[in-house]
Amino acid sequence: MVYLVFLFLLGLVLGLIAVASNPAPFFGAFGLVVAAAFGCGILVVYGGSFLSLILFLIYLGGMMVVFAYSAALAAEPYPETWGAWSVLVYVIVSVIGVLGAGYWFVGEWDKFMWVAEEFMELGVLRGDFSGVALVYDLGGGMLIVCGWVLLLTLFVVLELIRGMGRGCLRAI
Amino acid sequence: MNPYVLMILISSLGIGTTLTFMSSHWLLAWMGLEINTLAIIPLMAQQHHPRAVEATTKYFLTQATAAAMILFASTTNAWMTGEWNIQQLSHSPSTTLVTFALALKIGLAPMHFWMPEVMQGLDLTTGLIMATWQKLAPFAIIYQISSTTNPTLLTTLGILSTLVGGWGGLNQTQLRKILAYSSIAHMGWMIIILQFMPKLTLLNLMIYIIMTSAMFMMFKYNNATKINYLTLTWSKSPVLATLTMPMLLSLGGLPPLTGFMPKWLILQELTKQNLAITASIMALATLLSLFFYLRLCYAMTLTLSPNTTNTSSTWRIKSPQMTMPLATISTLTIMLLPITPTIFSLIM
Repeated sequence: MVYLVFLFLLGLVLGLIAVASNPAPFFGAFGLVVAAAFGCGILVVYGGSFLSLILFLIYLGGMMVVFAYSAALAAEPYPETWGAWSVLVYVIVSVIGVLGAGYWFVGEWDKFMWVAEEFMELGVLRGDFSGVALVYDLGGGMLIVCGWVLLLTLFVVLELIRGMGRGCLRAI
Repeated sequence: MNPYVLMILISSLGIGTTLTFMSSHWLLAWMGLEINTLAIIPLMAQQHHPRAVEATTKYFLTQATAAAMILFASTTNAWMTGEWNIQQLSHSPSTTLVTFALALKIGLAPMHFWMPEVMQGLDLTTGLIMATWQKLAPFAIIYQISSTTNPTLLTTLGILSTLVGGWGGLNQTQLRKILAYSSIAHMGWMIIILQFMPKLTLLNLMIYIIMTSAMFMMFKYNNATKINYLTLTWSKSPVLATLTMPMLLSLGGLPPLTGFMPKWLILQELTKQNLAITASIMALATLLSLFFYLRLCYAMTLTLSPNTTNTSSTWRIKSPQMTMPLATISTLTIMLLPITPTIFSLIM
């Protein structure tokens, strides 16, 4: 289990470094997917299996759209990645930053840990299930507004990239 | 743009601000701000011109950063104190972070750099929306958190904005940039009084919106985006050119025009709080702004253009633009000072 958690945490950090360092949208989006997958693994280990499932499905659905859009808008024939020196510098700086932050926080690490499975008191429901129920119960109106925002975003994106030659957001 | 899409965008622009107005919950206020930002973006990039798209991208990046900071700070506050109410923002780092985020949203110095560049890329009508309607939602939140914000931070932001707004505008020849710097300077006045008398912030915002709308509408009517266009406006509409001088001086805050009212009341309140030095710095910093307003006045009404003019006035056909709003709002810009007590009691 310890090795699994170590693997997940390492994958999360490396995925985020890939997002931060890659100039090409292909590899940036790919790094985000890796980070999301390993992050969901960490959530499972800490007990939030349902939360992790929801996050994985929705996040990867969103990531697919982002990947498609970035590939359509800014595709490069020879994208640079970790092999190139210019990118490698960013990677090294990020790694040093992560190590430094880890060194700084190493004493207080356990402060930030919690179990996603249950609340403090005795209950018959799992924490993540009842959390979803609570969101729908107390925040129904908010969720409707959220749905409207997503629809509005769709309209905005379509309006922005509409028109082949005229949309100057495109690089190709 | 398709009229249905335009309808959706414009109604969302209204709904976003309204949501922020009505919310007491950080999450809903944040959603309102996001709806507001998202809805204006296609309106800004409407012409698909490279400059407009560049401005839109800059605007989106700054506003998204500010909104993310607001979300981060309010979540941190909820995590630390268990309180989502806007007025109960008691966790100190969150308060500072939210103040900075809102300052970025409305373009206060030192987070003002996006403002002139975005404004320069837009047409005058969208610029009018940017300078007026887009300020309302952030100010609704700023007003609500005014009692918990760090006073030193507010004073610094206020004085810096007034100074930067004046200095930045000095060397500009582009009218939209000048109006952007004028906006930054006015925002500084609104922020400096926020901790002592938030009602005056609202009063100043109201008056500023009236004055800057008048300027944008006037530039729109004359189709002017540079100072050298202004030198020819007298032949296009002599009355409007004459009226523009008091309008500009009102924006600069000279008595007996409308723009003097907020400055008068704010200076009085600062003096009452024993902040004579702050009040003096603010008043002196506004002189910088007054200089570029005076330059506009000079170009427009106080000098003859170096061009050869063959006729005393150009052939004027009836303008297709609406003149009634311009007439109303320029009257308000010039002549509101005598009813200061009424407006004051309205605000209080």
